[in-house]
Amino acid sequence: MALLAEHGPDAKVLAGGTDLIIRLRDGTYTPKVVVDVKRVREFEPSIQQREGVLRISAGTTMTQIHDSDVINHWFPALADAARYVGSVQIRNRATLVGNQCNASPAADTAPPLLVYDARLVIAGPVGQRTVPLNDFFVRSGVTTLAAGELVTAIELLRPSGRFGSAFQRRTRRRGHDLASVTIAVVVDEDGRLRLSYGSLGPRPLVFEGEEDEIETWLSAAAPSPHSMRASPYYRLAMLRVLTGRALTSARGQLA
Amino acid sequence: MTAIGDPVARVGGEPRVTGEQLYVADIHLANELHVKLVTLPVAHARVRSIDKTEALAVPGVAAVFSAEDLPGHVPRFGPQFNDRPVIAVDEVKYHGDPVAAVVAESKDAAEEAAAKVQIDYEELPAVFTVEGALASDAPLVQDPSLRRNDPLGSTNVLREHVIGWGDLDAEIPNADLVVENTYRFPMVTHFAIEPHAFIAAPEDEGVAVWTSIQHPYWLQRVLARVLQLPLAKVRVHAPDPGGAFGGKQHAKYEPLLAFMALKVQRPVRLVLSLEETFQAVRRTETEITVRTGIDLDGTFVFQDIDANYLIGAYADIADRVVGKGSYIGNGPYNWPAARINARSILSHTVPSTAFRGFGNPQINWAVESNITEAAIKLGLDQVDIRLRNLARKGDKFIPFDTAADGDWAQTVQKAAEMIGWGRPKPEGRGRGIALGIKSGPTTGLSNSLVRLLADGSVVVYAGTQDIGQGARTIFAQICADQLGAPISDVSVVMGDTAIVPYDQQTSASRSTVLMGNAIQRACGSIKEKLRERLGADYRDDATPAQQVQAALGRLGGEIVGVGEAHKDADPDHPLGGSALFFEFNATAVELSVDEATGDITIHRHVAVSDVGRSINRLQVQMQDEGAAIMGLGHTLMERYIWDDNGRIRNLGAIDYRIPTSMDLPLEMLSDTVENEDGPGPYGAKGMSEGALLPVASAVAAAVRDATGVAIRDLPLSPEHVWQALQEYKQR
Amino acid sequence: MNQIELTLNGQARSASVDAYHTLLEVLRDDLGLTGTKECCLVGECGACTVRLNGEIVDSCLVLAVEADGGEVTTVEGLRDGPSLSPLQNAFLEKGAVQCGFCIPGQLMAADDLLRRVPHPSHEEVEEGLAGNLCRCGCYYQIMDAVESVAAGEVISSPQTPTAAPSALPQPPVDQ
Repeated sequence: MALLAEHGPDAKVLAGGTDLIIRLRDGTYTPKVVVDVKRVREFEPSIQQREGVLRISAGTTMTQIHDSDVINHWFPALADAARYVGSVQIRNRATLVGNQCNASPAADTAPPLLVYDARLVIAGPVGQRTVPLNDFFVRSGVTTLAAGELVTAIELLRPSGRFGSAFQRRTRRRGHDLASVTIAVVVDEDGRLRLSYGSLGPRPLVFEGEEDEIETWLSAAAPSPHSMRASPYYRLAMLRVLTGRALTSARGQLA
Repeated sequence: MTAIGDPVARVGGEPRVTGEQLYVADIHLANELHVKLVTLPVAHARVRSIDKTEALAVPGVAAVFSAEDLPGHVPRFGPQFNDRPVIAVDEVKYHGDPVAAVVAESKDAAEEAAAKVQIDYEELPAVFTVEGALASDAPLVQDPSLRRNDPLGSTNVLREHVIGWGDLDAEIPNADLVVENTYRFPMVTHFAIEPHAFIAAPEDEGVAVWTSIQHPYWLQRVLARVLQLPLAKVRVHAPDPGGAFGGKQHAKYEPLLAFMALKVQRPVRLVLSLEETFQAVRRTETEITVRTGIDLDGTFVFQDIDANYLIGAYADIADRVVGKGSYIGNGPYNWPAARINARSILSHTVPSTAFRGFGNPQINWAVESNITEAAIKLGLDQVDIRLRNLARKGDKFIPFDTAADGDWAQTVQKAAEMIGWGRPKPEGRGRGIALGIKSGPTTGLSNSLVRLLADGSVVVYAGTQDIGQGARTIFAQICADQLGAPISDVSVVMGDTAIVPYDQQTSASRSTVLMGNAIQRACGSIKEKLRERLGADYRDDATPAQQVQAALGRLGGEIVGVGEAHKDADPDHPLGGSALFFEFNATAVELSVDEATGDITIHRHVAVSDVGRSINRLQVQMQDEGAAIMGLGHTLMERYIWDDNGRIRNLGAIDYRIPTSMDLPLEMLSDTVENEDGPGPYGAKGMSEGALLPVASAVAAAVRDATGVAIRDLPLSPEHVWQALQEYKQR
Repeated sequence: MNQIELTLNGQARSASVDAYHTLLEVLRDDLGLTGTKECCLVGECGACTVRLNGEIVDSCLVLAVEADGGEVTTVEGLRDGPSLSPLQNAFLEKGAVQCGFCIPGQLMAADDLLRRVPHPSHEEVEEGLAGNLCRCGCYYQIMDAVESVAAGEVISSPQTPTAAPSALPQPPVDQ
């Protein structure tokens, strides 16, 4: 914390490095200091349950997420998403928290975390605060993390009652790829659902409500016309196709 | 003793699995300096001035090179035309064209200094499409003074190739059906996992170069000419490249590095980044219009092709790609009348060069797809229509070239059987078949030297490059078989022009035939000498390896054999010579399409090649399956993405997609037809490109079969297929 | 400059590194192990795969300083003393090696897969190797090699030379 405070914008946090190292190489970032949080005890990988709250520390990698029994059981869409991030080599390093802090609109794990209503635990110069993930993303590469702050954990509330969830994504090949559409959905027994999409627009968005309200919400999606990965036309069409498939899958789990 | 055809494990394989294999980038010379290239972020620009001051001030920088540091008249080189300057002179002609090079004590210093070279330039309009390049007011890519006596010299058309036979005008009205379509093949790049790497060092009043090159002797000639050195003072070390596929055939930065090494009198090394390789080499893009005339019963009547090949800013070997690919573009069929007009068109883009298939995949995409379309319109079976018109062995399907050299129908029938053609298809699936053909080398010269040592072990010198195709293994197998030595006792020496005798090149799938024959003859020469020496003591039941000790007795020593294989040039032939053999392949696929997303799932991919004789069954399989997977790359996912100013947007591995282990057909079956009817050892023909040629056509035909939609440009990415389906449904 | 200490292929090694140098660069340029290859440098191709603290990683995305105090295994550390490992033998036997440039990375990924999942399904093999690109297109043969090792198939070692030195005639004493 002190290092971050001392160097301000000249410091960058290093966790998994799968985004940071690329930007150091291409010159997007030219920090004077890189702070490796992996050697800080509080950041060591851990997934712990206490009183219905699952707490995932900032150093927890994608491999650990998709291998975790408790996450596969209670938050399967998150486990699925983690399984798709890059390759084995990438998943062994990329952290769940890092994926959020990097704030790429295409972050695979963001939509599942949003539908599971995740919150971030943030340590700062003046103490600790908790913020819902939905209030964390601003736009591509930008979050509400203030200068000198660090995300130390992600918390998820264990769902009560039965639910079904699904994760879908669209890529240019079956092999690992950045997604051009990502969808996560969770449905409870009463039919209330939460739906989130990523990769269309500057940040992942989340919706809560009834199924018949979805189309209205989806129609506001505004993908960038400049993307190399997919045209807006295709993305919007796939948004609906994948939403339909995700809902079918999620509802099927409740049957 | 292993036999010809046996799947002998790869010679030279062990160092590749232990990490000991040295590729150029793994080699370090004492006192070496590091090079970083400086390029501009534009496709076309006039360079007004280069300020090196800040760069030179970076600690560790030895020099900053640009055109002013080269001999007054900057030397130009190129395999077909001497059009490419050693480094850009006043103009950069494509996004990635180097305008300066920093030489420094460390990579870091070179990189830092490269960013500090100040270049004052003026961006100029660029052409990077066929339409743009052919427009009447298009800026010229090449200086017209280089082609003063050429009627095309004031256009961007470098050359026009016209091939034809029969009386087209007379045949046109004879056709019951005419099908005309235009097909597009995108720009794709080789993406060898080893980026190009180069080292140059002053040596012995001349220069030594280490490079990941396919044609060391060709490079030796280029360097000798631009440096004005005798060939004997230019030494090219050519370690086995880490993948080449045609992208490492010809000189790129070796001349520049050689000049720099001689100037600073120290070794200099340059290893390209992957992004820089995308800016160094690519396949030629095409726009091809095919007009096919055909009778109701499926008999081919005429073929009229107009092919525009978009090459890069410098010709490299691209015009040959256009000439050779278009020449056999009609395919392995008998056409009563045919005409092909093919153009190589310059553009302000990455120089296109040889790439596995050499101009044939692009024209195959157009011609086979059009045949598929014609068959559908006539309600004829895709296999039957091809068999009906397929050239039979001995047919002069191109009137002034080598006759068909295989029983190609066998290959087609085998492929059809393996895909289950004619048997009921599972619901929702489509099947497609396409045939591919390519001419082998048209000229060639290969020398080999073989030494049978006193203990019966063997050393073979072969100037072929082992680029992954397993040349070393093939040569070891031939020697082992010819001389009766265990293959583990055969050592193959390659990759050094000072030690290994001349081999023209490693391309056109020529090596098994030409170098194989040279080696076989060298072994024959050894056997001759043994007979001579031993006279009556020669034993018919002993192998040469066994006999050599009897021949050399107490003196020890060795028997040396020299062999040569050549194919002479024919100055009257449009390609400079007829084909030594043909590579012929039949590819069939069965797939399904998720129409909601455009995803293609290939359930089965069949590739059958006519190879004459497999010297090594396993390597033939590896080559054919590897070629098929590479073909699936441009079929399903690869292309350069350009911005409106001719700059490449998707440099690097994140946004240029090639197939991974998860992108494979669920089942791939490859097989061969072997009638020992090739000109190489044991009746072998060359192979390794055939199975790539018809992949796109076969896949698109299967997509057509599954969905009804005809797609005429690549890649068949999910979005592209989906888009085509939307448009099709709206009609 | 930073001094780092690590256990590299079972041996204690140290190096003096700049903070911004990657583990890949330090292995190749400072520690003399060129078996690990450089290609895309963005964690897409897997040519730089090494084992770090019990897991495979793309060494182009790891700063060398992050390996301080850690354990690194590269392709050079895979062999079984003087013999090749079963995986290395299988790669040679099954035709998994063409140009060979991707092979160090493929071996590291394959080795890791079999440690985690000794009897992987075909899908698990595909996923386990999905981070390693092969442009020669040797995927089927590579997976065949991995599956043969998992199935306990015994692969013979590559052929060793048979011409024994004693077969040489004695050189004459004076000539």
